[in-house]
Amino acid sequence: MDAAIHTEGLTKRFGTRTAVDQLDLHVLPGCVFGFLGPNGSGKTTTIGMLLGLIRPSAGRAIVLGHDIAHEPEQALAGVGAMIEAPAFYPYLSGRDNLRVLALAGGLAAARVEAALDVVELADRAGDKFRFYSQGMRQRLGIAAALLAGPQLIMLDEPTNGLDPAGQREIRELIRMLARSGRTIFVSSHLLHEAEQMCDEVAILKQGRVVTVGTVADLLRRGRGLLVRVVGDVAAAAGLLRGVAWAGSVDQRGDTLLVDAPTEHAAEITSLLAAHAISVAEIRPHERHLEDFFLEVTRAEPPDKMTR
Amino acid sequence: MINLIRAEWFKLTRRPLAWVLLAVFLALLVLLLMTEFLVVGLDDGLFSGGARAQLLSAEQVRQFRLHLGFPGIFGAVLGHVNGVGGICAIALAAGVIGSEYGWGTLRIHLARQPHRGRYLIAKIIGLLLALLAGILLALLAGILLALLFGSLLPGTGGATPSVLALPLGVLRSLYVLLPYVLCTVACSILGRSVVAGALGGFLFLAVDAGLGALSFLAGLGGPVGFLLNLIVQPNINTLIVLNSQSFGLDPAALTRTMDLTTLPSPLQAALVIGVYSALFFASAYRLLLRRDIGGAA
Repeated sequence: MDAAIHTEGLTKRFGTRTAVDQLDLHVLPGCVFGFLGPNGSGKTTTIGMLLGLIRPSAGRAIVLGHDIAHEPEQALAGVGAMIEAPAFYPYLSGRDNLRVLALAGGLAAARVEAALDVVELADRAGDKFRFYSQGMRQRLGIAAALLAGPQLIMLDEPTNGLDPAGQREIRELIRMLARSGRTIFVSSHLLHEAEQMCDEVAILKQGRVVTVGTVADLLRRGRGLLVRVVGDVAAAAGLLRGVAWAGSVDQRGDTLLVDAPTEHAAEITSLLAAHAISVAEIRPHERHLEDFFLEVTRAEPPDKMTR
Repeated sequence: MINLIRAEWFKLTRRPLAWVLLAVFLALLVLLLMTEFLVVGLDDGLFSGGARAQLLSAEQVRQFRLHLGFPGIFGAVLGHVNGVGGICAIALAAGVIGSEYGWGTLRIHLARQPHRGRYLIAKIIGLLLALLAGILLALLAGILLALLFGSLLPGTGGATPSVLALPLGVLRSLYVLLPYVLCTVACSILGRSVVAGALGGFLFLAVDAGLGALSFLAGLGGPVGFLLNLIVQPNINTLIVLNSQSFGLDPAALTRTMDLTTLPSPLQAALVIGVYSALFFASAYRLLLRRDIGGAA
């Protein structure tokens, strides 16, 4: 299947600083792809290169089957994007801002109203942009991205600056757009948001991809049982390392994180009791994308994993 | 391209800056013509029961009188376009280009219209159309004022010009504004801001007009005169003088030190202004094409 976005060795250097380093991405059509990373990790620069706004120092980017460097018009014909903060003319109303974009793109005026309806901004579309709240600005940005009926939507930090209710609204909007079969490439540094929205994520650190995979796969890594013991913790760890069904065993103070299915909880308790080690607590270790993100973005050097 | 120009026009006609500049420009035109009316009226004794007050020479008053009627009003309005209008054009051009960087809207457009050259040309055409609309509105205001002054003052009428004098005059006026507008556009792109554009445009205007005035008033000839005639101002003066003359006016009568024989030929004027405009346009085009587009300022 042709990728919606495909990059090979995409690199951007600003002087001596490398903002994006040898980026290889493969985003399948129809998925919600989360592009995650701390602030300053190169997310916006990457989106800028995918949109032809920033010239790569090396590598190439294929968007909807077209090389952005050689066929930018064909590549971007099916793309709608919101980059960084929504940028519009403050002296124009929300509706007129979209009309400017529709006029420039030769689009029918009806598209403006349709896009406003999707983001539920029709009631306030006559107000000047400068009087819009942050949430309304973000929604207008998404409406602008939707205007030409794109196959691929790129949203850069779409919930930035929003309160929890606003963030939820935007997440629901993105899920709704995903249901329509479009590919959505969304950058964020908010992990719980990505966990709820995305099918697949790439985690970026200092311009390099440190991991790529489906959200389910990433969460599965490191899942297991937490066992808090009373007594000789090191001995307990040694015993558990010796059983066939246990993977890794990490010791964290008086607690062991055992990579094992939850149905082995009773066996763990029996095994340790047989060696006079008491178990104070045993429970499944639930992992969130945020934990995983913090692990991989703190790790040094980056542990480059593949799908 | 047509779609891009339509979008530019849509933005410009709704932009408060454009209307403010137009209002200032028209207000100053009315003020200028009212002052000339006052001078001529005093000379005629219109306001003092026949007692005449001669503030200027007879020839200067005659020129003012011609400004206040047909067809001289057209020359007066077009002269105003190339004076105060130049300042307004620089301010508008800096606003139109620079604020796209300041508001971050440039990236929104270029992410949709990746052909940056086409985008720049559409912006410049939109700007020139707005300036043309401003000139036409100023001519309309001039016509209304000439009708008013004609009913109050005798002898404001002049010889009938050729049919083409007015359209040619308008085009000349627009052409005279071109290098300043394009210099401002290039500086706005270079500095990625309104301030950089305005600063560059006004600096160019000040230096160019200063040198031009110096050479003109000093009546420099020879190699120095030749070199000074390669800057924009003397060439612009040629076209402005042509505009005045085509409506029966004599600009030399208003400035005693003016020696029209030192001005470059109309052909040289057209070429020099064209070369400067082309250089500024090429700089703007190259800068926009080659540089990365970042976020809002």
